[in-house]
Amino acid sequence: MVRAIELTLLSSAVAAALCVTIFTPLAYYFARNKNSLGEALSDIPASIPHPIIGVAILVIVSPLTPFGRFLLSVGINFFNTFLGLITALTIVSAPIYINSMHPFFQSMNVAHENYALGLGASKFRTFMSVVVPNSGRGILNASLIAMSRAMSEFGSISIVAYYVLQQPFYGVSPAPVLIFQYYTYYGLGAAVTASAVMILVSIAMMVLLRLVKR
Amino acid sequence: MIEAAVKKKLGSFKLDANVSDERFICLTGKNGSGKTTLLNLIGGILTPDEGHITLNSKNITNLPIERRQVSIITPDSCIPHLDVDRHLVWGAKNKGLNIEDDYITEIKTGLGINFDGKVRKLSLGMRERVALVTSLISRPELILVDETLSNIDNRRDFIDAFKTFTMKANIDVIFTTQSPEDSSEADHHYRLESGKSTRLF
Repeated sequence: MVRAIELTLLSSAVAAALCVTIFTPLAYYFARNKNSLGEALSDIPASIPHPIIGVAILVIVSPLTPFGRFLLSVGINFFNTFLGLITALTIVSAPIYINSMHPFFQSMNVAHENYALGLGASKFRTFMSVVVPNSGRGILNASLIAMSRAMSEFGSISIVAYYVLQQPFYGVSPAPVLIFQYYTYYGLGAAVTASAVMILVSIAMMVLLRLVKR
Repeated sequence: MIEAAVKKKLGSFKLDANVSDERFICLTGKNGSGKTTLLNLIGGILTPDEGHITLNSKNITNLPIERRQVSIITPDSCIPHLDVDRHLVWGAKNKGLNIEDDYITEIKTGLGINFDGKVRKLSLGMRERVALVTSLISRPELILVDETLSNIDNRRDFIDAFKTFTMKANIDVIFTTQSPEDSSEADHHYRLESGKSTRLF
């Protein structure tokens, strides 16, 4: 169980970091530009059954597609790997990260950005040098929410990475999958014990989130 | 020289303004007369429905803010996380300008920047001074100042000194004010009423 929790915490933290890196600019773009289609597309992972996300990932990276054949030719595998796990977690956490950052960016005073642009800064430099340095609290808050979401994920990772076949987590299942295994193989009692441990970990995350919000 | 002949409709408000002058230009008018809208059009924050804007014979009507050589300053303008000295040269560094330390010292002394620290922790008047001086050092062709002089103490001395520095650097300035006394500092004065501009001198 300990190894499963370690895997869940690590993979969720990496997924949250990927959300920050990839989706912070997107959330900023949505906050400053009306794009209903883009916003609707970014909400799709939150509105479909998550096993579909797992299936979609495996189809895309399988030998059925040119992209999948290319990945396999260079030795990149998503099935039952840490890479597949964090990919699924990043996709399911993205909508909640974007929807957390979107109102934060909307609340930021656009006068700072207009001032920077008027001083000759490009839009990229304005984003990196003015917006991001003044978004620390918002990004930290949203990344903790995204990490919490990733920790609770089951549907997509039960398909993509039921267990991880790479060191140092060889044969270890993420905690939500392990709890399901306990219930399936050993019954309710074993599942309750494992669930209680996970709940304590989740409570710690929520407390941390509240402290950050202050 | 700034030439702005623009029309803009925002809800029930219609702006139809014409400004054509250089050096130190004052823009006055009641609240809601269109002063900020006009400055936003010149600065590139808004796009006119009709008309054109040229700055030193260059048509900037459809250029993005960062390519207009126009600096826009409002009471909220600043880059909050920088300290004062880094803030002052931030714009010049963006443009790759080599500003001599002597010049920066001269400007800081002349415009009353005798404090330091993070800009976000300064008072409103101090932040406005820093924002104005930063724009000046970045050498735009035009500086737009929207209601940003009212919180500066020793305002008359500051305006005199700011005008001197901008004239030396060949920078035009358009500033809005609610104070009739400030308009006496200007080379030209426009008044806006219900979106229509009148050149007083």
